[in-house]
Amino acid sequence: MDYLIIGNCASGVNAVEAIRGKDQKGKITVISDENYPAYCRCLISNYLAGTRKEKDLLLKEKNFYQDNSIELILNKKVESVKPENKRVVLSDGKELKYDRLLIATGGSPKFLGVEGEDKYGIFGFRTLNDAKEILKLIPRAKKVLVFGGGLIGLKAGYALKQKGMDVEIIVKSPRILSQVTDNDSAEMVGRWLMENGIKIRTGLAPKKILGNKKVEGVLLDNEEKMNCQVIIIGKGVRPNMDLVKDSKIQTHWGIITNQYLQTNVENVYAGGDVAETTDLITGEPTINALWTAAAEQGRIAGLNMAGEGKKYPGSIAANSIDFFGLPIISLGYVRVKEKGYEEFVRRQPGIYQYKKIVLKGNRLVGVILVGNIENAGVYLALIRRKVDISGIKDILLEDWFDYSKVSELLEQKEGFRETVSLQGDLVKMA
Amino acid sequence: MKRLFVDVERCLSCRSCEIACAVEHSQSKDLFSSLKEEPGPRSRTKVERDTKLQTFPLQCRHCEEPYCIDACISGAVSKDPETGLVILDEDKCVGCWMCVMVCPFGVIRPAKEKKIALRCDLCQDNEIPACVAACPTKALFFGELKDFKKKLLERKDTKSKVKV
Ligand SMILES: Cc1cc2nc3c(=O)[nH]c(=O)nc-3n(C[C@H](O)[C@H](O)[C@H](O)COP(=O)(O)OP(=O)(O)OC[C@H]3O[C@@H](n4cnc5c(N)ncnc54)[C@H](O)[C@@H]3O)c2cc1C
Repeated sequence: MDYLIIGNCASGVNAVEAIRGKDQKGKITVISDENYPAYCRCLISNYLAGTRKEKDLLLKEKNFYQDNSIELILNKKVESVKPENKRVVLSDGKELKYDRLLIATGGSPKFLGVEGEDKYGIFGFRTLNDAKEILKLIPRAKKVLVFGGGLIGLKAGYALKQKGMDVEIIVKSPRILSQVTDNDSAEMVGRWLMENGIKIRTGLAPKKILGNKKVEGVLLDNEEKMNCQVIIIGKGVRPNMDLVKDSKIQTHWGIITNQYLQTNVENVYAGGDVAETTDLITGEPTINALWTAAAEQGRIAGLNMAGEGKKYPGSIAANSIDFFGLPIISLGYVRVKEKGYEEFVRRQPGIYQYKKIVLKGNRLVGVILVGNIENAGVYLALIRRKVDISGIKDILLEDWFDYSKVSELLEQKEGFRETVSLQGDLVKMA
Repeated sequence: MKRLFVDVERCLSCRSCEIACAVEHSQSKDLFSSLKEEPGPRSRTKVERDTKLQTFPLQCRHCEEPYCIDACISGAVSKDPETGLVILDEDKCVGCWMCVMVCPFGVIRPAKEKKIALRCDLCQDNEIPACVAACPTKALFFGELKDFKKKLLERKDTKSKVKV
């Protein structure tokens, strides 16, 4: 059996491990257009900040590929997939054949689409090479503008602030983190960032990038000019799915997958930021472009490629960040715009602490935690397992809320013990 | 495979296990000196009280399919294939709290002062975990499942059910 994996990050690497766990003989080839063994993509901001070195970014131990008999092809791009004859075509024209294929090509940053965007000094922050290029500019640069108030842009801004740069975040919408927070918590996090020296301006967008070859500044849509030497664009990512464009593999938001993470073509699977899966909460097709989801999808796709037949329950939006020591966690559906939801908030005046829960009927569907994040996973378990929380509504916001308050509700749920606690070690509760 | 078991009904919520755990994971491993350490000692086990007011100590379950491994963005969490223990490499941990976010038991705790997540390692260097050694009522048991079951059966008054 020949397994071919395109993409060598969260999704690809987890697939490889899963395949090897089940099939010690099959040939596994991993191909990536980056020139590094798998690294922790999310930590490029820590690398940029100087809190992690390049060698600390390795996702797996040095001999991982060797020990698992994996052929690793680096610095080569797959141009197209030809499922009718089970081959992929590389950028150098070479073809590789497969019996089972995983497309784990991730995503690429979206750009602004404004004049002057080809100048040197503009980055969509995604790869280790991006971070290295930015570092090269730092000795001569003083001011960085971040366009977009999403996680990636803020992480880059946070890193560059730690490097001593003058960082300003410019957001089109009225607030930062609009995808994962509500107004009040966004305001709180924004205030915290500003207190720590990061500037934030809202309601503005770039119109034109200024400078000769290098970025020297920007013209905003209010006709104001700002000087800067580095621009980070945090406008989100789009899935890398050009390689299936001319094939019969179906795409929508991303490459469409079924419950087994299989595409519409037999023997072709997809996982990670390129894969469209079902959202656990809304039931709608979506891409939850997150490390956690990519890793889980890769693992399950890998198992299925090796013949397991394991169902993927669906993806869930859940993210955690820490800026200057303030932790922020967002789970599930938190941007309520329509009717039919109940929201409850607890906040302490004067301190950076915020807790919000979002309910739909008898189900918990979303949580925002700022400051105190202990027991966050218990909420996620309630969301994930679609637990009827009508009996515990009034204690969900309490600071003493913890696992023991919901253990019975959770343990009744089918599959809970199988996936989480079946080591035989949980013995309790007569 | 040796595991940590809790005979729930014997727990008197004295929290000796928490203290022993914190001391064991401190720099000095000594209660008196550890209290002066910066950052201070922190427990990786916690005594919780359920809705029937029964208390019990809870710590990492070393899950079969741990959510925390998928969630770790720094490759710091792994499952030892031999012992089954889910281990955090504290040097690799960046304190992003993704594991805190996904642990269904809420037993991974953010140590903001150290910027790492704290979790039970079953005191790997010791013969028995510190919490077990410290439990005055023997509510905590470290050993094989069959031996724990035997122990429960020996206790005639037992109402605890062994759920596995
Ligand atoms: C700075 C930063 C911080 C982040 N922080 C978090 C976080 O805190 N929490 C979280 O959940 N997520 C975070 N993410 C998102 C997370 O990194 C992604 O969700 C995850 O990396 C997706 O993994 P993947 O394997 O699907 O794809 P990717 O990591 O994108 O890997 C895909 C690989 O395939 C390669 N490739 C693409 N096309 C081809 C081709 N045609 N031929 C050959 N190779 C190809 C790419 O170059 C890349 O190496 C962060 C991302 C960034 C950039």
